[in-house]
Amino acid sequence: MSEQAALERAYRRILAWYPRSFRADSEDEILTVLLAAAAQGQTRVGLAEAWDLIRGAVRMRLWPAAPRPRTVRAAVRLMLAGAAAELAALITVIASLGSVRAAVAAHDTAAAHAVMVHQIFDMAAIPVAVGIWLWLAWANGKGEDWARLLSVACFGLLTLAVLGMMSLHAATYAPAGLIAAATVWVIGLASVALIFTPAACRYYRPQLTPQ
Amino acid sequence: MQEATFLILTALADGTQHGYGIITEVAQISDGRVRLRAGTLYTALDRLRADGLVAVDGEEVVEGRLRRYYRLTPHGTEVLAAEAARLHANAAAALTRLRPGLAGGVA
Repeated sequence: MSEQAALERAYRRILAWYPRSFRADSEDEILTVLLAAAAQGQTRVGLAEAWDLIRGAVRMRLWPAAPRPRTVRAAVRLMLAGAAAELAALITVIASLGSVRAAVAAHDTAAAHAVMVHQIFDMAAIPVAVGIWLWLAWANGKGEDWARLLSVACFGLLTLAVLGMMSLHAATYAPAGLIAAATVWVIGLASVALIFTPAACRYYRPQLTPQ
Repeated sequence: MQEATFLILTALADGTQHGYGIITEVAQISDGRVRLRAGTLYTALDRLRADGLVAVDGEEVVEGRLRRYYRLTPHGTEVLAAEAARLHANAAAALTRLRPGLAGGVA
């Protein structure tokens, strides 16, 4: 009997990888099956069995079974596209560092310093923005209501950033950067609109009991 | 539809089963070729329940262990029937095209 207790503890350690809601619903039941399938006197979890359980846990966390409305799936895809567009913007900023500075210096020496500060800010901020896009894609996909509000807040900040860029005469000196920023802004607008459609609103409502 | 999913639905087609029952049924249906593991089974069941193909049909405690029974929903029955018909049609087409070659022997 103590052999079975040891095996049960080992299984529970692996089952801890599963989402909390799934464990609350199914942990005892899945243990029944695991112990029924175990060999006589077995005290340790086999490698194949452990791999199968962990793979299941990862799959459940990445692709929750709750049926995602099409609008939310599209919003998640757009947010991933947003992260990709930010990366493209970062590459544009880095590639055009010298040419933008030269263009500004030739026309307006007073603005040169401000533009340089802005470029440094971009290089620091864009990687953070990429991270935020990915995080929001993940959390919105899970139907977290706070992620929806945070998405709106981030879209507000993004709007301010684009307006700020326009006030720095980026259209004249860094058209590629402005186009990238505008693309990101349109993606943000579309994804925020999608997560507030009626179908999406039903998905975000907190689900207390899975079925 | 993945084979494991198809076999789980098939195992439930003629009545309710508990988790371990599904595993043994699937092994039997597939002539021992498919041995479902618990992680695979419960990831699939989680999804099938969310999609409304399978529903819980009662629980009981046997020797201090929780057992939960599952059954196909009407929607699950429809989906399984459609998938079985599709596979059957594909298999029939393959056999029809193979038959001349098999009957004719060496080409």
